Amino acid sequence: MIFRPLKPAFGLLLYFGLQNLASAATCSCAGVPLLASIDTSAKEKGQLFITYNAENHQISDLVSGSKDVPDETDRDRHSFSQVLSASYAMTDRWSVSALVSYVRHSRDIGSSFLGKTTSSGVGDSVLLLRYTPVFITPFSRHEVSLGLGSRIPTGDDDYTDVFVLSEDMQPSTGAFGGILWTSYSYAFNQAATLQFNTSANYTYNGVNDREYRFGHEFNFAMGLGHSIGTRFSYSAAFRYRSTKPDRRSGFEIPNTGGKWVDFIPAVSYAVTDKLRLGLSGRIPVTRNLDGVLQFTTSYAYAFSASYAF
Amino acid sequence: MLFKSLIAAWLAVHLMQSVHAQEAAPTFSGTTLNTGQPIDLEGLKGKVVLVDFWASWCPPCLASLPAYNKIRQEIGTSDFEIIAINVDEDIEDGLKFLEKHPVDYPVLADPDGQIGIPYGIRNLPRSFLLDRDGRIIATYKSFKAGDEVKLQQEITALLEQ
Repeated sequence: MIFRPLKPAFGLLLYFGLQNLASAATCSCAGVPLLASIDTSAKEKGQLFITYNAENHQISDLVSGSKDVPDETDRDRHSFSQVLSASYAMTDRWSVSALVSYVRHSRDIGSSFLGKTTSSGVGDSVLLLRYTPVFITPFSRHEVSLGLGSRIPTGDDDYTDVFVLSEDMQPSTGAFGGILWTSYSYAFNQAATLQFNTSANYTYNGVNDREYRFGHEFNFAMGLGHSIGTRFSYSAAFRYRSTKPDRRSGFEIPNTGGKWVDFIPAVSYAVTDKLRLGLSGRIPVTRNLDGVLQFTTSYAYAFSASYAF
Repeated sequence: MLFKSLIAAWLAVHLMQSVHAQEAAPTFSGTTLNTGQPIDLEGLKGKVVLVDFWASWCPPCLASLPAYNKIRQEIGTSDFEIIAINVDEDIEDGLKFLEKHPVDYPVLADPDGQIGIPYGIRNLPRSFLLDRDGRIIATYKSFKAGDEVKLQQEITALLEQ
């Protein structure tokens, strides 16, 4: 607040300084783990799951193609996102999931306060309808699920800090998106304590009011999950993510888009029959990013709590 | 192979009719694992019946089977019966469990889901309380210590109707 009177004076300096950095290295952040948060779904008729997920996402690795590049700007960029989701099973096969997010982006460049930018607010929401024609039971080892949904721009996409912030710093994308989602699980034993899980989703991003379109995104994850007793479980998965470059007014934005492979370990513990707590991480394995330079994920970790009604 | 398995799983799920309260319980019959006697659900009409699905690998079943046995001993069998359905893929696993944790009530083996699928069994243990006409009055998901108190009250109330 004490810097507010200084904003006009430093505005242009800050703006042109950041513009130079931004054109040199934009950020492919995938800042908010919306679809990851929607993995906990209600599976039996009448079941309702409420899940809270908080993720801290550090986005300070500077990468050229697939090579790490020393960052001499002393830059620190991270996002903290909170996602509240609800999943309700209308029948044993049909369920609907909805989530809302609250996002805080922060970017520090150098040691001066001039380089500090933050934004926060309600982010995007998601509505997903799922159909599960095959599910794991004591008599079936397979589960297949299909989903169709929409990402809804429920938050601001014109957050201003002297100037309107760049799109990757906005709480919301400002555009609707279409989501296709599918998953398959195989239980190695009748008790389904050891499972192979795979899922894939594709998000088609629309154009926002500022003619900006985030690159369409494809995710594919596969891994193993193991339960010990009725309370403790852990999993390990690899996730491949690919995004097209962002576009403004139809023109490609340089230094956006790319391909990533992350390792995602997770543990969870059922405190009671209804309440389950979880921790997960996201560790980059390899990446090949478009353009000359991009800041991208250094690591992320998340806490989740889900309650079954 | 995978495709065949998926088709089989899909068929199993689509045959699976989730049973609801006040609906007639799907009938079944068979020879009990523990006594070798034939048993038929239809033949138990006139009695209140608890149908309990369980498996040797199901942790809560370690507690539910002895608790249900105690309920049966306390209520008696003149107007009440319990039928346990073991769903272990390997029947031997169910038999070994029963050697360690014997029960007095009849236990049927259902490794292929011929009984379990019509009841819509997805998780274990799962129990169904039937009235004297064979209608499902209540469904119980999972089991934890203390649940048997409420269950016994509900059985007693049903017997008094």
